[in-house]
Amino acid sequence: MGPWYAAAALDGSIHQSAALDGLSCEGCGAALNVASGERTAKCPYCASPNVVARPRSAGEDPTFVVGFVIPEDDARKRARAWIRSTWFVKTAFAKADVSDVRGVYLPAYLYSGSATVQYSAQIGENYTVTETYTTTDANGKTVTRTRTKVKTEWRSLSGQWAAYLDDVLVTASRGLDNAELEAIEPYDLRALRRFTPKILSGWLAEDPSRAVSECAELARQEAVEQVGSRLAAHMPGDTHRDLRHETTFQHEHGALMLLPVWVLAVKYDPQEPPVRMVLNGQTGAITGTPPRSWIKIAGAVVVLILAIALTVWMGARA
Amino acid sequence: MSERVCTRCESPLEIEDLRCAVCALPTPVLTRGERPDETVAQILRCNGCGAGVRYSAEAQAPRCDFCGSLMEVEVPEDPVEQAEAYVDFTVTDAEAKAALGRWLGSLGFFRPSDLQAEAAVGGLKPLWWVGWMFDAAAAVCWAADSDAGAGRSAWAPHSGRFSMEVDNVVVPASVGLTAKECEILAPRYDLGRTSAEPRGHANATVEQFTVQRSAARKIISESLEDVARARATGHIPGGSVRNLRVSVLPSKLTTRHMAFPAFVLAYRYKDKLYRAVVHGHDADCVIAEAPLSWAKIAVVVAVVLATAALVVGALSL
Repeated sequence: MGPWYAAAALDGSIHQSAALDGLSCEGCGAALNVASGERTAKCPYCASPNVVARPRSAGEDPTFVVGFVIPEDDARKRARAWIRSTWFVKTAFAKADVSDVRGVYLPAYLYSGSATVQYSAQIGENYTVTETYTTTDANGKTVTRTRTKVKTEWRSLSGQWAAYLDDVLVTASRGLDNAELEAIEPYDLRALRRFTPKILSGWLAEDPSRAVSECAELARQEAVEQVGSRLAAHMPGDTHRDLRHETTFQHEHGALMLLPVWVLAVKYDPQEPPVRMVLNGQTGAITGTPPRSWIKIAGAVVVLILAIALTVWMGARA
Repeated sequence: MSERVCTRCESPLEIEDLRCAVCALPTPVLTRGERPDETVAQILRCNGCGAGVRYSAEAQAPRCDFCGSLMEVEVPEDPVEQAEAYVDFTVTDAEAKAALGRWLGSLGFFRPSDLQAEAAVGGLKPLWWVGWMFDAAAAVCWAADSDAGAGRSAWAPHSGRFSMEVDNVVVPASVGLTAKECEILAPRYDLGRTSAEPRGHANATVEQFTVQRSAARKIISESLEDVARARATGHIPGGSVRNLRVSVLPSKLTTRHMAFPAFVLAYRYKDKLYRAVVHGHDADCVIAEAPLSWAKIAVVVAVVLATAALVVGALSL
């Protein structure tokens, strides 16, 4: 993949702004920017206290930004509701303090391009046949009957498919991986705005901490998956198999942008690492891996087995 | 100002486009000479339906013409595009009211018998709703089943591609009217009767383009796919077709900002308000809600049940 990010610099730059200080997390590698004079004691992504000052990077400016829509109080309420609605979480986690919620502008690349695909596949066309068979009736006599059966005729198809790929978002942050970003997508990109430094006022913002080539590879993987699913939907017939395709990507482009996320690093046990929950700052979609209580799960399994055994026993008695 | 063109799909870019409306390529930042005049636009934004209309200091009643909710003055950060062509009003206020009256009387048995007589029509609001009208070229790839070359199954798969050009496809940008309402209204306008300035109704409100064109990419894409699907049937061999799929790669998409005339009316029947939209060109086109007569429905159900009971009784004798 060639160089695919915007080269044009914008009027304002978070990198050149004297109003922002650079911080780096030694725990997860996140590269944060905060307003000058504002200090954070711990990393919003992993709750590590090992946050140190770093020189400001002189990288690419963001092109776009999506602003926060979900306010802090609402984020906290949604996090509590999400924990309450999750089954079998550890009691200490369910009672943990979720007040430490941080709003962060996450760096991400918005990928777009065009794809031209040569494909071949076996297309299944269904048809029905009437079969004659012999069976035994209620009186024990052998009888001949007919039934209809659906069969599939397989035919070869090859062709071309072409489309633009857009709205592919991949993380540019080491603090938050792509699976987590995918879990809180989609963002409504109709609310996209040109980046200006003033929109970051009062918020933490992260510089890209993944290499452009790594982000490009992530974006390409998502684009290939998108082509695969859209191509499968393009196939005619009742079913298909052996779908093979060769894709040529053209005019690829990646624009660096900032996405709003609320991050909660929930510390529920001094012996355990904090549990991270991430919330889409625009739509409120939430993800996380809450710690499960194996005692609760085992209890539920025992109750279920007892209930089944009781039902069987009562059935047998009846 | 020189015309800016997308480097990926060659579609002309508009001032407010953050990304190309066709292929989503981010647009370059405007240079100082390309920026529009720094005049601060004001629009009136509805608190209810979100529609934005042109601000007028003379406006005495800050009520939305689309839904009647309160409006507030808003100063948008992005440039506000203006309609460049207005389709003329040819239907008068009286004709619009009469059209709604006729429509109320034509709804059939299951509506209240006194609906036409008792409905109090009022609150007539003439307005221009806005939309983009676009021309484009597109490469279309299609795949479908047809009866040509069929074997044991009645269907055989086929694929192909073709190029097409489309003209005058309307994509609604209205926030005040629903997409469904716009879809019904749009094909009935006589596009030969357009003017550079609003004409045909002195008191009509003009809706503003408060949705970015690039935000309409999905709607434009769906519109092109509909056209491609209709045209693909001419390329598929055989007489019967099913499972038609198309992929469209548009290019050179040009848009015009259009304003289309319509009337939004309200009528009251038995203390309940109903909304109606009457076409500004074709008074026979009325889109409205109307009450059902539950008494008539109950009588019909009772008659059907009684008849069924009689038939069953007669058969069992």
